Amino acid sequence: MGEKWRFLDTGLNDAFYNMALDEAIVIARSRNLVPNTLRFFRWSPSAVSIGYFQSMEEEVDLQTCDEMGIDYVRRRTGGGAVYHDREGELTYSIIVNEDHRLISRDFQETYRTLCSGLVSGLRRLGISAEFRPINDIVAQGKKISGNAQTRGMNVVHQHGTILREVNPALMFKVLKVPNVKIRDKLIKSVEERVTSINAVLGREVSFKELKEALIKGFEESFRIELTLGSITDFEEALAQRLKAEKYATKEWNFRR
Amino acid sequence: MGKAVYKVRGGKLIKVHLTMENEKIKEIKIMGDFFLHPEETIEDIERTLEGCPLEERKLSLLIKKVLENKQAVSLGVSPEDFARCIIMAGEKNG
Repeated sequence: MGEKWRFLDTGLNDAFYNMALDEAIVIARSRNLVPNTLRFFRWSPSAVSIGYFQSMEEEVDLQTCDEMGIDYVRRRTGGGAVYHDREGELTYSIIVNEDHRLISRDFQETYRTLCSGLVSGLRRLGISAEFRPINDIVAQGKKISGNAQTRGMNVVHQHGTILREVNPALMFKVLKVPNVKIRDKLIKSVEERVTSINAVLGREVSFKELKEALIKGFEESFRIELTLGSITDFEEALAQRLKAEKYATKEWNFRR
Repeated sequence: MGKAVYKVRGGKLIKVHLTMENEKIKEIKIMGDFFLHPEETIEDIERTLEGCPLEERKLSLLIKKVLENKQAVSLGVSPEDFARCIIMAGEKNG
């Protein structure tokens, strides 16, 4: 295993910083200032992220979020609205050069390849996970991970969720439903379509255990060696700037 | 304002908000949980459609052209899907 990637575990941060740091790493990677990177992170406070093309007001119950102290942010990637629970979710990002052997010109193919790291990690935990196009990973036929990818500056950026625990009722409190009458129905349908690591295994899996399994999964499936690193001063300064000037602004979050 | 939601085969959702003037699109916003690369292409599509009449074939051709010019790729949705949702929103306008 010759090829080394940087591994970052940035812990708990707010939504705006989390999204800003992803972009800062992309920019640092595009300037060759940092190696290919796998990052794990979590959200504190819990937050909702929406896809690049979504409308904040259409998707998110802003009043409920404000009352509950839940942040909301627009991602630089497409896809749907996601509730990121502080205790329930582990999030990852992959930032890799576009000319890397793992990257295909075809987006669908690249999703499959990059998700294989997660699939392999989940299997190590004893979960028979599989990739399901376009951008999901399922276990027992139910979604356990959602992923979103973008490219630019010759860098591929994919991030996604790994559900350790899931709470559909809370999800529909913070996400808008077309009408309240069908809220219960939607909650039921999510219970039927979405699962979590704890639910599949029938035991509490700690973040530590989950991360260790995923690290091994990525190393095996990407044929790389992950070395624990830290963010550079350049990335930290840029992340702070992107947070203040982009991800924490109304202009960005409410632009659609 | 005309609004429509269209669920595409495969599960992605397109939402369109538009206003009309003299039977032509005046303002349009295309939203949803799809993927389009590069992402900024959505603004090019919206700008291109302003001033266009509500003709489904024409709309999807115009969108296709923008994608070709920008070497853009959509995932989970097609130009025909966007056009369908725009027509639906147009029918609800007023």
